[in-house]
Amino acid sequence: MTGVVWWLVERASALLDAEERDAVRGDLAELNVAAGRALREVVGLLVRRQLRLWTDWRPWLALAGLVIPLGMLLSLISRQWANTNSIYAWLYVDNWTWSYIETAGARHDLAQISGTFLLECVTLVCWAWTLGFTLGSLSRRTIWVTGTLFGAVLFGGTLGSSTAGLRNPGNAAVFSLMFYRDGFPTLVRTVLVLVPAVIGMRKGVRQATLPLTWALISAVAVVTLTALAAPSVKGSVTWGWWSTSGEGPAIRQLAQLRDSWQLRLLPMLMVWPVAYMVARATRRHWRRQSAAA
Amino acid sequence: MTTTGALTGLLYYNHNVVVIMLGEFEYLLLSVTARLGDEAYGAAIRAALEQTTGRRCSVGALYTTLDRLEAKGLVHTWMGEATPQRGGRAKRMVRVTAKGARQAAQFYRTVVRASRGVSWETTRSMVR
Repeated sequence: MTGVVWWLVERASALLDAEERDAVRGDLAELNVAAGRALREVVGLLVRRQLRLWTDWRPWLALAGLVIPLGMLLSLISRQWANTNSIYAWLYVDNWTWSYIETAGARHDLAQISGTFLLECVTLVCWAWTLGFTLGSLSRRTIWVTGTLFGAVLFGGTLGSSTAGLRNPGNAAVFSLMFYRDGFPTLVRTVLVLVPAVIGMRKGVRQATLPLTWALISAVAVVTLTALAAPSVKGSVTWGWWSTSGEGPAIRQLAQLRDSWQLRLLPMLMVWPVAYMVARATRRHWRRQSAAA
Repeated sequence: MTTTGALTGLLYYNHNVVVIMLGEFEYLLLSVTARLGDEAYGAAIRAALEQTTGRRCSVGALYTTLDRLEAKGLVHTWMGEATPQRGGRAKRMVRVTAKGARQAAQFYRTVVRASRGVSWETTRSMVR
């Protein structure tokens, strides 16, 4: 038991700066502090350090501008896209027949559906990576808290709601299978959102600012993908955030917003992390230029 | 706008609110550090604080207060050498700066002056 607690002390103190970690672990060893008390003290120090970091505006901007709105949007979009693609996967994988590629029209349908699926995968990865990078860059020392909250919003944001597709009795054959009902959305969220976001966070914490060329390439990619996915983003909010009773949108006001300018602007939200990346990269580029001149 | 009050160590704001510049724990930490001299580092300060006050001192309270005092320019800290009884880990050494010594002295004088004639001060004298 004591060994486990000391292991926890080791893991918790790894979150401190290298010098402080050395001083704290050394003090605990020198004073022969018991394992339980040592853990309480290290966690207490971590909490105090975190509280102090949160007196700055950056973690709050990361929380209010990225984690909550974009985490929620990614949660809705990933579930809706997973649901839509579940129907096609059930049709083309679970019920495959060679007739799907016999005629030119059927082949065209299959190619179009596969292309859309791939495009949606790439779009989710790009959004998640740029969001993660910006989060890491904005809240470097609070990334453990903001990153964990992002994960909570991503996986918990849609709790207590359903999608129109899931509630449609016509899709019962697909969603009666646990894999398509629960497994596939979780897989999509984990592989296409959480993993790229964590990779982006690590990069953002280490590098903070991308070279201008890479920031511009990322911006072009994200803006293009967002423009292509825009109708689907609107659909994810209206059709992908359905009440569990299946009567209508989880938030009734969403029904009135359908086809409104507010909903048309919604996909633009996904662009702001990459806009921040370009702004930072441009500022650094000009500073270097003026320093060299 | 602030003006220095008649009692040193206090600041009078224009709305007549008096702010004591050091906190109780900050003062205790400065005193213990000054007494330990060249031997002042995290574990030693903590042990001396616990012995002096009879209260527990957590590593969180100690290091966050040290950071605050350092930010105010009242102490200077640096990483010292590692010792075997610390598992080969370095110490965070602490030294009270001239400004820190002045602030602690002001705080002490203020407390002594403010305590004159109060019941517990008399009781203390009687006990002695």
